[in-house]
Amino acid sequence: MENRTGIRHSIIELEQISKRYRMGDVGVAALDNVSLCVAPGEFLVVLGPSGSGKTTLLNLIGALDTASSGDICIAGQNITRMNRAQRFRYRREMVSFIFQSFNLFPGLSALDNVQFGVESAERKPNGMTAREMLERVGLDHRLHHFPHQLSGGEQQRVAIARALATGNPILLADEPTGELDFKTGIQILELLHEQSHLDKTVIIVTHNREIARVADRVVELSSGHIVRDGVPDNHKTAIADLSWEEARDETMAIVDALVLARLASAMAAGRGDCADHRARHRHLQRTHQHVPLAAAVE
Amino acid sequence: MYDLRLSLTQGSYLDQTELLNAVSSIDHADWITATEPRLILPTLVDASSAAQSVIVPGRLIGTDTGSAQTRVNDLYITGGHGLEGEPADAPVAVLEHKFAAFYELPPQGDIRLSGDRSLRYVGTGLSPEYFVVFTDEGGMMAEANFAVVFLSLQTAQTLVERPGMVNDVLFTLAADADSDTLRAELAVAVDELANVGASFMVPQDDPAYNMLYEDIAKDELFWRAMAYLFLAGAVFGAFNLATRLVEAQRREIGIQMALGVMPRWIAIRPLLVAVQIAVLGVVFGLIIGVFVGDAFGDLLQTMMPLPISLQPFQPRIFLEAAALGIALPLLATLFPVLRALRVEPVDAIRTGHLVAKGGGFAPLLARRASSRVLTWMPLRNLLCAPRRALLTLLGIAAAITLLVLIMGMLDSFAVTLDQARVELLQANPERMLVQLNFFYPENSPIIANISQSPVVSGADASLKLGGYMIHDDTTVETLLDMVDMTSTLWRPSLASGSYPGERPGVLISAIAARDLGVQPGDTITLRHPQRTGLLSYGWAESEVEVSGIHPLPLRFQTYMDFRQAEMMGLAGLVNALQVTPAPGVTQDQVQQALFDQFGVASVQPVSAVIRVFEDLIGEFVAIFSVMQVAAVILAVLIAYNSTSINIDERRRDMATMFAFGTRVRTALRVEIVEHLLTSIFGTALGCVLGFAFLVVLLTQVFDVVIPDIEMTITVQPLTLLVALVIGVLVAVLTPILNLRKLIGMDIPSTLRVME
Repeated sequence: MENRTGIRHSIIELEQISKRYRMGDVGVAALDNVSLCVAPGEFLVVLGPSGSGKTTLLNLIGALDTASSGDICIAGQNITRMNRAQRFRYRREMVSFIFQSFNLFPGLSALDNVQFGVESAERKPNGMTAREMLERVGLDHRLHHFPHQLSGGEQQRVAIARALATGNPILLADEPTGELDFKTGIQILELLHEQSHLDKTVIIVTHNREIARVADRVVELSSGHIVRDGVPDNHKTAIADLSWEEARDETMAIVDALVLARLASAMAAGRGDCADHRARHRHLQRTHQHVPLAAAVE
Repeated sequence: MYDLRLSLTQGSYLDQTELLNAVSSIDHADWITATEPRLILPTLVDASSAAQSVIVPGRLIGTDTGSAQTRVNDLYITGGHGLEGEPADAPVAVLEHKFAAFYELPPQGDIRLSGDRSLRYVGTGLSPEYFVVFTDEGGMMAEANFAVVFLSLQTAQTLVERPGMVNDVLFTLAADADSDTLRAELAVAVDELANVGASFMVPQDDPAYNMLYEDIAKDELFWRAMAYLFLAGAVFGAFNLATRLVEAQRREIGIQMALGVMPRWIAIRPLLVAVQIAVLGVVFGLIIGVFVGDAFGDLLQTMMPLPISLQPFQPRIFLEAAALGIALPLLATLFPVLRALRVEPVDAIRTGHLVAKGGGFAPLLARRASSRVLTWMPLRNLLCAPRRALLTLLGIAAAITLLVLIMGMLDSFAVTLDQARVELLQANPERMLVQLNFFYPENSPIIANISQSPVVSGADASLKLGGYMIHDDTTVETLLDMVDMTSTLWRPSLASGSYPGERPGVLISAIAARDLGVQPGDTITLRHPQRTGLLSYGWAESEVEVSGIHPLPLRFQTYMDFRQAEMMGLAGLVNALQVTPAPGVTQDQVQQALFDQFGVASVQPVSAVIRVFEDLIGEFVAIFSVMQVAAVILAVLIAYNSTSINIDERRRDMATMFAFGTRVRTALRVEIVEHLLTSIFGTALGCVLGFAFLVVLLTQVFDVVIPDIEMTITVQPLTLLVALVIGVLVAVLTPILNLRKLIGMDIPSTLRVME
């Protein structure tokens, strides 16, 4: 989304945002003077260890929480000055949440959970029905199943479909793969990444650095401050542009490169069974002869 | 109080000296340590003052106030002084305390008796026979409608123009006396003296004594039944609370199990919470119990003043209550704790989506067309968690059960009273009953003076007699009303059967028919007074047909055709009349006009008779009204508690809805509808259970407590409406009262904490 001058507008603008809590007599700054802009359709990953303030950031953008100071403008609206009713309306019309533990309604089928998303936004999302949303996330065969009848990955797909069903432009995901296995997690990330291509702004909060590899942009938080903001380190080839198999191969290559480096180090120091080390070293080199292992390690 | 009482058959009188001589001549006269001859007669008492009009039927009790040898029933003076210092023939009396207290009469004053006789009362007093005032019609606690006047025997004899005559004797017996032997000897002595019938009573036959001493066990049975029902409601509330407390600790329990803590140690913590709740509840309950006990004691002392009334602290009762109060919540907690301990640790410590449990009955609606999800969400939520919904539903049902039970009892009382009112008033609500102090010829001037009085437009002669109905081995005491069955003024209605024909027949109550095991067409034995002389009546037995059943719900009430009085040797005699006031004449005016007539013992509207029945069950109505308030409070508390817990358990769903911007009012509507559904089903179940308990209580317990009244078991639409309104109000109000929690909900924390 660019203006006539070619400058992309931000859909999300955080200006000097701080959030302080009181824990007994002690004041804790979850976020301290954080400023951030996010463009429409951007796929942003917020990284950080526990307590770094990343979930607080997500909650502030989602208007689930209010900032102690600073301004948050979403699509030109300053949500920090909104009253309660306006914040509810904002959530209905602008943002959708995807939770770590999905938070599906246990009494509703997959279809009805998604239908909730349709109805909560009080508008038709791109003319798509709940059924079509579930088809889009590959669950057209599980329409009438209840959460307890679905696997974790399927539940998260329903949660995504529910969020998409709202038709809201911003998707906020809090550790969306936290309860999923690696493969399912990758699938979910792919699904979320697709949405950014459909003009949805996606913000994912996670402590998993692997997830950051799929992002367009990574913001890293530490102790309430942004310590890094840019493309992922290994963004020479955007992993999101790779197929599943390619992404898996590249990930395995990284692991194998690390193993190679340790084997070389062990052989040089004469530690362990050198014959075995050499055999494994040769095997790994043969396996990855077409992959620039050195680059991966770097 | 007396050990044995001898009463001559209704209408019989014997010379005092002859009777006492006959008594002293029996074989075991030495068993009698004191003898108190009495003259007892019905009367009408006018205690009106400038401030109020008080004319009620009553009883004159003339008693020897001389030596201790002739004093059996003591009179405890509560105001003024007794008769001891007064001359034996002085026209003074002592007024029964409760009557005086009810009308706030001074301790000394003047009263008038029917037949235009005046009397000065010098004090008020309590007599054991009237610690609870009963009337001949079975009215209980009837001090508002019944005045007892104690006076010296000589004064009474003079007043009623029966010099030297008595009709009642009280005895105090030696410790080794056999009252059955004495009864037999005394009956023979009386019969030999003047061919007069006699009936005997021991204290256990006395209604006042019975109520104060013998009925205590039955009353206790009833109150215990009520207490246990309250307790059951409270225990269910505790069970509901405990189950959910334990479920809230599911993860903690799982972690402890995973860490290898022994189950008994894990169980201790929730059980300690239960102990804490139980102990606090018991302490609170005991404190309330002491205050309520004192208040009830004061209330009883006001309702039934006694010369000596002790209200000692009853450690056994309180210990029993404390033991139950502690044991039951503990047991209520034990079950969910044991249930939680049976869960595999791995299931208990799971978080996230793996916690997802079965969908209950939600799949039943799985394929329903999806639209308006929020509209269907309440029903789906209930179906999804049937156990939770059931616990909430049962919590509400328990409360409503209690409420319907209490209110149903009041309804049943009201309907029973209405039935009596409809039957007694029929199309002639102004009808009045005139009782005479003796049997008079139908064509005597006394009867003519009444029936031809200008204040009266119609009069029917009748007879009122005491008696017994016997069938097989069952005997039912009865009040036999002999009325004109062809009268246009009033006659009993028929519930079944037919009016008596030429053959002697009776109309009996349904409850008497049930007790006797008879139905219309069967024959019973009627033990009735039989005239043997001018002032003497004996007992006789006659076979009579049960012609029909009347709808009056009083066991002892029996009707017979006046024309069959010949069976009793009473043809042409009258001791009561039913009259209708002349047009434009009030019942008060009739009462005033007939008061001065000689021979009139009482004049009262039929509606006053209904008041007697009202008094009979009034005690229960008053106490139930208090219990009704308690039941409503308990119902609201239990229902609020159950619903409130349910709301807490739905917090995660609420937080999710809020995260998606669902308005608070929409979420509230979902909550309200969900609780409304639970409440409606809970209320419906409570109504059914309440009615079932009502049937059990009234048929199994109340039949023992008040056996003379047949209650019509009913729950009025208003009661059901109140139950529904309370159920609905709780369903609506609880989420609204929890609105602050919803509005102030920390959505991120709720979403996370619940994980």
